[in-house]
Amino acid sequence: MSHGGGESGRLHDKAGHSGKRKSSVSGDEFARAIAKIAVAQLCETVGFQSFQQSALEKLSDVTTWYIRNIGKTAQFYANLAGRTEGNVFDVIQGMEELGLSQGFAGASDVDHCLASSGIVREIVQYIGDAEDIPFVYSIPPFPVARERKPVPSFFHICEEPPGEHIPAWLPAFPDPQTYVPAGNEGDAVFNADKIEPARHHLKMDMSSMNLPQHLTTCIGSEGPSSVTFGNSARATQGTESNPFLAAPLQFGEKEVSHLVPPARLSDEEAVRYPVEQNRIMDNHMSVLETFGPAIEAMKSRFCDSEEGQKKVLLNQRPAVQFKIRVGKNSLAGAPDLSPQKIGIEKISEWFGKDSENDDKKRRAEKILKQSIENPSELAQL
Amino acid sequence: MKSGNRERTMNNMSSSNSQQQQQSSEARHDDDAVLTEFLASLMDYTPTIPDELVEHYLAKSGFQCPDVRLVRLVAVATQKFVADVATDALQQCKARPAPVVKDKRDKQQKEKRLILTMEDLSKALSEYGVNMKHQEYFADSPSTGMDPASREE
Repeated sequence: MSHGGGESGRLHDKAGHSGKRKSSVSGDEFARAIAKIAVAQLCETVGFQSFQQSALEKLSDVTTWYIRNIGKTAQFYANLAGRTEGNVFDVIQGMEELGLSQGFAGASDVDHCLASSGIVREIVQYIGDAEDIPFVYSIPPFPVARERKPVPSFFHICEEPPGEHIPAWLPAFPDPQTYVPAGNEGDAVFNADKIEPARHHLKMDMSSMNLPQHLTTCIGSEGPSSVTFGNSARATQGTESNPFLAAPLQFGEKEVSHLVPPARLSDEEAVRYPVEQNRIMDNHMSVLETFGPAIEAMKSRFCDSEEGQKKVLLNQRPAVQFKIRVGKNSLAGAPDLSPQKIGIEKISEWFGKDSENDDKKRRAEKILKQSIENPSELAQL
Repeated sequence: MKSGNRERTMNNMSSSNSQQQQQSSEARHDDDAVLTEFLASLMDYTPTIPDELVEHYLAKSGFQCPDVRLVRLVAVATQKFVADVATDALQQCKARPAPVVKDKRDKQQKEKRLILTMEDLSKALSEYGVNMKHQEYFADSPSTGMDPASREE
């Protein structure tokens, strides 16, 4: 008694647990849950006291696979014999095929009668031996098929289809009173979902006899197709509910912030490394200031002339100025300025030559930059 | 009996086909009788696997049969298959040596909870052609994944 009670208790838990998971992957969850319960019952009969969850799932999967395999094989044999409905011999042949790996008595006989096949004898023996334990729950036949009312055709309603090109056996158009006034053409795609609730409102208003039934069938089955009638409604009703279904904005409708274009090259703009010495800033650009636009120019392949190149270089990028912290020693020292000058001249020469060795030049720039900075830092030290 | 058979066969060879047909039809009657008996016995036995489930999966695989007895036959066959697999797994479980029991417990060293584990199941299923491999995983503590009975201690 306790055994049975324990079993049913566990099964109830399992049923509840699998009920929670019904909303997950596929529509087959119900069948799989039932299979798990049945397999658990069988294992109980065999003698197991409990099982690992994964093992139970695996075994129930194998069970469903077995059933489907028998069905597939039996159907194959039926089709082979030129029938669409299977009969007992097809099933027995299917079972034989599946049991070949295990082996049964008389498997090697080529011409044996199916009714006296070894498989059948084994099953008869099993029925005789095993206990008769029915399934715990009573299950309704599933899957439950819902009756769908098809839309009546023009012929059924005895209506003339509007237009000669529409045959009478096609489903009828919904009532013209249900048509929602057309709005923007661009809203058509988005308003498929909103037309149904709109129609629903109309349906509530009108209480004529023919209309509700007509509408129920229309709303049920013709929702998406109603868009083709050109009844794209305005987005007002839908916008409140779902912003993603709102109509797309046309250009200029909504005020958006303007992009701030990068400021022109200016001496006072200090980003990361503001140059400390104003004297230098007045007359010369900082190292990367020159190089930066140069890199840009190389990318965009401006190569008219040396002069023009220089001008273009200068105009393109805002100043990224390096703070070259130099001590008081170097203030008086011209060598600090001249390497920059020399560097700029050299590099602009390089740019003037050809525009093909971009990477090499960039690397050279970097090395030069570092060499210029480093002596200044060393000087600081 | 034997002489009678011989006579019959002689007659068959010499006479027309009707007797041959008669004999084969007798044999067929026997087979039919066996089959009808068998199917009738099926209806007495209620398989644990419910008919609706079997019908659902048979329909999924395309097998159409209005006859309930065929559905029962498939159900019984599946039940037999699962029972065989479960029995093999049980043998595997019992064959494994029992875990060491401390002396505090009663002297029931052979008693252990029979649990359907993935290992036993994979060994049992491999004989039936179903190859199953359980994924290894890294555990936090040494006792994770061990036999639950021994873990209780």
